[in-house]
Amino acid sequence: MGVRALLAAALACLSVMARAQAIITSPAPDKVAVTVYRAPNASGTMDLEWLQGFAIVRETRRVSLPAGESELRFEGVAGGIIPQSAIIEGLGVVVEKNRGAKLLSPGTLLDSLLGRRVHLRRISKATGAVREQEAVVRASGDGVVLETAEGIEALRCTGLNETPLAQTEPAMLSAKPALSVRLRTAHPMAGNVILTYLSSGFDWRAHYVATLTPSGDKMALFAWLTLANGDETGFANAETMAVAGRVNRERAEVLAPEVRPISLSCWPSQRTHEIPLEEVVPAPPPPPPPAPAIMMSAERSEDIVVTGSSIIAQREALGDLKLYRIPIPVTVAARSQKQVALLDQPSARLGTLYRWRSSFANEQNEPVDAARILKMENRTDHGLGLPLPAGSLTLFAERNGRPFLLGEGSMTDRAVGETVEVVLEGSPGVKVAQRQVRRDGKEHEMEVVVTNDDAKPVHFEVRFADERKPLSSSEGLVRRDEAYWWTAMIPANGTRTLRIRYRVPD
Amino acid sequence: MRKLFLLCCGLSAAPLFAQSAIEPVLPTPSRTAQGDVAVTIYNENRALVQDRRELALPGGRSRQEFPDVSAQIRPETVTLTGNGIGIVEQNFDFDLLTPAALMQKAVGETVTLVRMNPASGAETRERARILAANGGVVMQIGDRIEVLRDDGLPTRVIFERVPAQLRARPTLSITLDAAHAGHQPVTLNYLTGGLGWSADYVALFDELNGRMDVQGWITLTNSSGTAFTNARTLLVAGAVNQVQRAYQVYGAYPPPPPPPPPPGGMIRAGTQTAGRERLGGFYLYPLPERTTIADKQTKQVSFLNVSGAPAARAYEYRNGWLGSADVAQSVSSVLRFSTERGGGLGDALPAGTMRVYQRDARGNPQFVGEQQIGHTPMGSSMSLATGESFDVKVRPLVVERTRLNTSPRWKTRMLYEVSNAGPAPVVVDVVQDGLWGDTRITDETIKAERLTADSARWHVPVPANGRAVVSATFDTRF
Repeated sequence: MGVRALLAAALACLSVMARAQAIITSPAPDKVAVTVYRAPNASGTMDLEWLQGFAIVRETRRVSLPAGESELRFEGVAGGIIPQSAIIEGLGVVVEKNRGAKLLSPGTLLDSLLGRRVHLRRISKATGAVREQEAVVRASGDGVVLETAEGIEALRCTGLNETPLAQTEPAMLSAKPALSVRLRTAHPMAGNVILTYLSSGFDWRAHYVATLTPSGDKMALFAWLTLANGDETGFANAETMAVAGRVNRERAEVLAPEVRPISLSCWPSQRTHEIPLEEVVPAPPPPPPPAPAIMMSAERSEDIVVTGSSIIAQREALGDLKLYRIPIPVTVAARSQKQVALLDQPSARLGTLYRWRSSFANEQNEPVDAARILKMENRTDHGLGLPLPAGSLTLFAERNGRPFLLGEGSMTDRAVGETVEVVLEGSPGVKVAQRQVRRDGKEHEMEVVVTNDDAKPVHFEVRFADERKPLSSSEGLVRRDEAYWWTAMIPANGTRTLRIRYRVPD
Repeated sequence: MRKLFLLCCGLSAAPLFAQSAIEPVLPTPSRTAQGDVAVTIYNENRALVQDRRELALPGGRSRQEFPDVSAQIRPETVTLTGNGIGIVEQNFDFDLLTPAALMQKAVGETVTLVRMNPASGAETRERARILAANGGVVMQIGDRIEVLRDDGLPTRVIFERVPAQLRARPTLSITLDAAHAGHQPVTLNYLTGGLGWSADYVALFDELNGRMDVQGWITLTNSSGTAFTNARTLLVAGAVNQVQRAYQVYGAYPPPPPPPPPPGGMIRAGTQTAGRERLGGFYLYPLPERTTIADKQTKQVSFLNVSGAPAARAYEYRNGWLGSADVAQSVSSVLRFSTERGGGLGDALPAGTMRVYQRDARGNPQFVGEQQIGHTPMGSSMSLATGESFDVKVRPLVVERTRLNTSPRWKTRMLYEVSNAGPAPVVVDVVQDGLWGDTRITDETIKAERLTADSARWHVPVPANGRAVVSATFDTRF
């Protein structure tokens, strides 16, 4: 061995020493802010087991670091973290950010012991005597092969109570996917580090509760902001926000955590009464069972927390989006749903109308319910005039001081100045029928009859999705949005009839 | 050399090896068999590994094993070079050591049985010859034939040795011819799957001042099943053609399909050369220092840090055909910037995801959207669609569609209502697509720019909290 080789060996030694860097663990955030984003194309209620939105989590952690190179591990981050989105502020020179997904599990533990010494413990069923001996793990992939002083043996193919015991916890494996940074500081430092990352497994919805006034032309409009955390990590006393509007998302590849049970397949071990008659060739050993989902054993607590509506989320503009901030710190618990007031407009004007979508050739001999539509102008002089995030709406009236459900519908994001329409279920009192009353070659005549059993007149619209002009109509039709519209007031307890003549296209 | 290495490593691992009766047969994770490793990682889940190891070779022909190569090694790409060394043959063995394989290979051999008396716990030893291991194990003990554990009682089977061809992990072995005996360095090169990288960008956009700060991170992932210890790492930006593999090595997971070509957002490709190392048309990104790439690890290293680059928000709406929308549609909100020297980011950008953040009222950055970009030369104009605007909307309307009497052509009058509920005036690019054939615009309230034969664009200024209307008449064949 020459001088150069010696030098190289010494250098190798040094580099091995250098890798023995200080490991500092930050167990949990000291302060946390969570901003929840809706799932794209979100509608209806949230499936708490399958939340398609996401959140941005901003954690402030107090750490103290020694001078020189160290590894800082962040524990207690959300399980749905997208590691490549992590931003770390307030540190010195960050050499690299790492996230290991090889987790400590019976299978990976045994894998890490491949070629290493373990204790093999056997307990006699007859006497309870404990015997321990040294063994080296020779294979752990599909069944476990051990080498002992006596020879080669297979684990758990013996019918004995036996188990391998590791002597040290392998440093490469951790309980949860761990985010860490390797960094270098000139002097020891203590201070705040801010860790920001995206995490999947969150979502929120707006839900509007409208209560009609007795007159029927005004309502009290209240909305809940309902946010859900499907992650196993909760955030205590978090500054909590929700963002309305659509943001573009891309597919993010996140390495799935590797966890495995120990595979304990043996050699063919059928006994004489078990051997099937027709089997000639032994079947290959079964593949190791799939890794169980790590969430499986996680406890489910679906607390639904409704905080008092005296606190209303504060709205601010965030670029092209709307950000709603819950003004006090709240706890976003793991696997839970939380509601705060989103808006409260005590007196908003609304109109009700009935609409039926049809075409000239449509025939509907038996009268059917027409869709009931709530129409609001999102303007200040109508008691609104504020951004309305997409969500569902439940309409109530009051009867003898008790709420009475009138219907449910949904709406998309509506900006200030827009018209909001919410389609509810039809009401049984307003019906429409369309019949063919005359046919003369290619000229057909249709009759549309609308009836109203209410003691008040109602607005009614029929939309004929046709391109060609009718030959004649008993009432005026308006061309709008690629269709012909008939708009009519149906008198109280009355009927209106429309007759149209049109030519069937050649 | 090896002794010395052991000596210094022994400092940390000493208690483990103190009273060693059985020598561990494989290196422990802290003592990898890898030598001086250099890894070159390409984007599409592929890497070139160079591993310089010191081998103690006898003179002449010998079989050498190379543990700790990638579990997803492509054995057909392996080359080994060394001074005065000739390759005789190269094997990649994946006959794995399992209890079943151990028993199958023991057919015809003699093993030791240790039987346990269930009442007293007393052990008795016997020698048995394995006759067959089909379904169950049939063996001969003295002059009797017996099925192993047919009585259901505990019985240990002790084999004398592990057959040479059974291995704990797929193993590369090379038979080589050495000119002289002794320690010598050899270099092993191979391609492997399971390693890939892409870029991740963090853009903090200051809308008021029209500036943004961009940090770029290289994100590399290792799902190869093997750790690469203390490796020199080089990342190559660009696609290298790859021959499809016809088979999978046992135990290797099929690599994830390469991501579809990113949608881009590049308006115009740049022509400037970035101040980065280049080779064969590819940009190279060497990591500044050696690093250990653990298995199942995602690692990020910074490579770009630009502050105060000009950037602007713009709005685009595209109407796919001459049709109406029932309700007003949100326009897409795009971030425009350049990668040129001087007025832009001043670098080439390897493919990846750009995440855009803006500060909220309290000054904390909030996420406002992301988009993938492709490999972007320096000097390119970029337009990233980060999301949709809540306040700026367009409602396209077909007002009138009539057949012209004189010719078999149609006249379509369109109206585009652009509304802005925001407190600042905006300009919206309204694009009418689907103008295929010889469509002419006969009348319009703002002059359109014909982008392509299929599409026309209007720049529509919209006042704060106001609306604007564009009307246009199209003369179409259908």
